[in-house]
Amino acid sequence: MRYADFTPYDIVLLLQGLGVTLALFIGTTLIGLTIGLLLAVVHHYRVPGCRPVIVLVTEALKNSPVLVQLFLVFFGIPAFLHIRMTPVEAATLTISLNTAAFAFVVFRSGIESVDRDQIEAAEVFGLGRSQILRLVIAPQAAAFSVGPLVGILVNQLQVTSLISVIGVFDLTKIGNILNLRTLQPFIVWAVIGLIYYLAAKTLAHAGGRIEAALRRSVKWGGI
Amino acid sequence: MRFWRVIEPYIGFLLQGFALTIAACLLAIAGAVLLGALTASMRSSGNRLVRGAANAYGDVFRNVPFLVQLFFFFYGLPELGIYIGAFETGVIAMSIAGGAFVSDVILSGILTVDAGVIDAAKVSGLSRVKIFTRVVLPIALRVSVRPMGSVLINLVLTSSILSTITVNELTGAAKIVAATTFKPFEVYAVLLVLYASLTTLLSFAISAVHRRLNRFMTGG
Repeated sequence: MRYADFTPYDIVLLLQGLGVTLALFIGTTLIGLTIGLLLAVVHHYRVPGCRPVIVLVTEALKNSPVLVQLFLVFFGIPAFLHIRMTPVEAATLTISLNTAAFAFVVFRSGIESVDRDQIEAAEVFGLGRSQILRLVIAPQAAAFSVGPLVGILVNQLQVTSLISVIGVFDLTKIGNILNLRTLQPFIVWAVIGLIYYLAAKTLAHAGGRIEAALRRSVKWGGI
Repeated sequence: MRFWRVIEPYIGFLLQGFALTIAACLLAIAGAVLLGALTASMRSSGNRLVRGAANAYGDVFRNVPFLVQLFFFFYGLPELGIYIGAFETGVIAMSIAGGAFVSDVILSGILTVDAGVIDAAKVSGLSRVKIFTRVVLPIALRVSVRPMGSVLINLVLTSSILSTITVNELTGAAKIVAATTFKPFEVYAVLLVLYASLTTLLSFAISAVHRRLNRFMTGG
């Protein structure tokens, strides 16, 4: 009996891999955006001593290969602290922090894009700090940030393919398995690539619609 | 220092890996910029077929993970009877993926060129090729130094992925050292700092080039 042919079960395998990739992508995106947003707010309020640390860490994360970060977390931290870490945990931690670093930069420039005069005007009107953040800065910063953020997320979706290297059974890992079994790299990798392509396109399309909706709500409608 | 003690015996080996990284990056950057400039000029062409083909290339290679592209070439090329080494495959894959991003940058540079400038060149009697190579491209490249820099930095970071196809560049060499010393944390921490300093230096160099090329521009 030969196992080298494609079987209907391979479709299940592909869907499984896609599920792992998407679940990890969505999870790390939510965690990463939350951390990135928190960092941007802390940065905005000039909490003493935090600014240089935040900038240094995010720059280091942005300027080093994700693969090395994955190795550091997956192989390095367990050996250093003598703890156990599963591939999924290491992947979640690494990609989340990586997304956070990129999101921080976007959110920071989003907050900075709000005109200084508007904040002063709001202060004169007697709005509190949190009211200014919620009512004045947030809506405009959100509309400004969505575009670049979608670009980053499309990129992060592709970055998740690297977690296959530390043994997470994501879509790329499934591709590896199928490739080794069937020895038909052209078909296997073209299919895997197509699935990633469609996922990225769907994401970009959804992002574009959200951006259009947000921009509508902040557009200057006149008095 | 403990980090230095771990790394010290393997410095020579790591430097070899570093040299391979630099070689791969330089070749890939050259390939990516050439391919990107060619694609960008195709994307700004009047011919719909040429434009469509170039757009499709950029679209596909920007939306598929580099790891998948790399495996496609690494396992696929021998199927076609093309037997080249892992290093060459890596450089080709990096050039093709990088070219897709570079073409975006150069295209937006081309689109910033004022229509009046092109009209002036036409009136002066320059041929279409001359206008493109002597007028449009110099302006476009000047504008796109900074965004191109971030693409190239990304390309340097991407080169670490070549370690997955048995190229022992810096990351591949570090993997071996980590496995030999049983000190992965120290090795990868040093590696992370190395890459971060390399790319930071690169970004300083890009800023310098940007300032030099734009020294006659006002307000840039």
